[in-house]
Amino acid sequence: MSSPAHSHSLFSGGRVFALAQNTLLELIRMRVFYFMLLFAMMVIGSSLFTVQFSFQEQFQVLKDVGLGAISIFSWLLGLLCTALLLPKDTEDRTLYTILAKPVPRFEYLLGKLLGVFLLIGISVVLMSLLFAGVLGLREQQVLAETIRTTSNPNDLAEAIATIKASAFNWNLVPGIALIYLKAILCATLTLFISTFASSSVFTVLVSVVIYLIGHVQGIAREYWLAGGNGAPLTKIMVALVALVFPDLQLFNVVDEIAVGTAVPMLLFWKITGFGLLYTLVYMLLAQVVFSTKEL
Amino acid sequence: MNGSRSPVSTPAISIRNLTKEFTIPFKKDRLVAVRNLSLEVREGEVYGLLGPNGSGKSTTMKIVLGLVTPTSGSTAIFGCDSRKVESREQVGFLPENPYFYKFLTALETLLFFGKLCGLKGPALKDHARSLLKLVGLESAADRRLGGFSKGMLQRIGLAQALVQNPRLLVLDEPTAGVDPAGSREIRDLILEFKSRGITVLLCSHLLGQVQEVCDRVGILHHGHLLNEGRIDDLVTAENQTQLVLENASPELLAELRKRAVDGGAKILTESRPQADLEQFFLKVTQTNS
Repeated sequence: MSSPAHSHSLFSGGRVFALAQNTLLELIRMRVFYFMLLFAMMVIGSSLFTVQFSFQEQFQVLKDVGLGAISIFSWLLGLLCTALLLPKDTEDRTLYTILAKPVPRFEYLLGKLLGVFLLIGISVVLMSLLFAGVLGLREQQVLAETIRTTSNPNDLAEAIATIKASAFNWNLVPGIALIYLKAILCATLTLFISTFASSSVFTVLVSVVIYLIGHVQGIAREYWLAGGNGAPLTKIMVALVALVFPDLQLFNVVDEIAVGTAVPMLLFWKITGFGLLYTLVYMLLAQVVFSTKEL
Repeated sequence: MNGSRSPVSTPAISIRNLTKEFTIPFKKDRLVAVRNLSLEVREGEVYGLLGPNGSGKSTTMKIVLGLVTPTSGSTAIFGCDSRKVESREQVGFLPENPYFYKFLTALETLLFFGKLCGLKGPALKDHARSLLKLVGLESAADRRLGGFSKGMLQRIGLAQALVQNPRLLVLDEPTAGVDPAGSREIRDLILEFKSRGITVLLCSHLLGQVQEVCDRVGILHHGHLLNEGRIDDLVTAENQTQLVLENASPELLAELRKRAVDGGAKILTESRPQADLEQFFLKVTQTNS
């Protein structure tokens, strides 16, 4: 046997990439992409069932259903896949074998998480392509119909411009990026919960509850910032909720994008910064718990 | 295969005054898994850690591998504190009943673990194939582990433990659930590792096997090290002698008995040697295969 040379480094991108690649492969071979069939059915179905509406309504329903489904599916995919990662490796003892190699625990967590991020990324891209494809196809059908039925050149030019403005526009791209960011934030939160949870069911339940809290916590934050008139204990509780749980309502700017409102880039980058900050904080918290965990 | 050796031989494993207590949730009591344990595994030897279930063997191994933090005391691998990640550069570990990723093939498994050890490229691929050959899984390189038998899983486990050419192997019940032929092969591999200078820490309930391969053993019970030493020193009855004769006539045997008694000795047992059941099983199965 040959003796390959190797030396230890405190952080190795190669090790993290190997773990991420393996996690992605694991999830792909678990056939998680079957959910794409459900997504395709929803988008194509909504396209078929809206033919009697005006084209503006058709495009609006398609965008609402498409973006809504991308958001829900990417969140759910991240949640379920991440909730499985640590318990499965612990139960199967693959965790022992991996951590008995010169792999720091932080790299293990990071690799696992990046694998899920990659999976969510691929899923979001595939869903977006499918969504854009159905939207583009519907646009072509409406354009063909309009050209066939409109004789006045001026009216036709105006109609084509209106159709194109109502169908796919590049404002949707930042919206899809924010959906991806929301999904990876929630996946990281799920990973943090799984570092101390006793079971995957507990992890999923807590993560879903936090998801729901995240969508209403904006109210709590406003109450806190407004200096409300409640008791000090209530104010502390409200402040804690506002700080600990991410304000997922911020990501609902995607709804505005779906109705055609262009999102200012400053707001987009603010939400991105907020999402990345919370993702980083949850990742570090996960590391703090996992680094001292007895295996 | 051997890594570089330091001029003054540092123990492969040194355990000093190790104690591990586990807190029991919602109770004040603490479970003491290991009590003030001190032992050394010398470089190049095969050391057997024995003990009944719950004696603290697995906890000790996990502490040595940095998977569990000691309550007090310390452990080191070739002088490097076990809590440091770099101490695991030198160690290959085969857990009891190993489960690897079922979705990976044998070759992919070794490539994955190799990458975790900083290996890469064609050199890693060649190394992985040579390991598969060593453990007799060359023909199963492209089969997924989900379809592997228990014995095959143990062998791929051994191969992954060897992937970074470690100086120390920690094997937890390496033959658990493996048939006698597979068990024999693993035993032969351990002896081969020893001949290559690899230190082996072996935990096993199969005492016959431990006796065959280990240089020294330590016996743990309730977290205490009850006994430790070379197997010959521990089990040899110094004042007894075993004599096995072939074609001895009844007259000769009678004469020997008489001479023994006359010489002040006492005959404790007299029986016909029997073939070892494992040897018999292997002979029968190999003849008919």
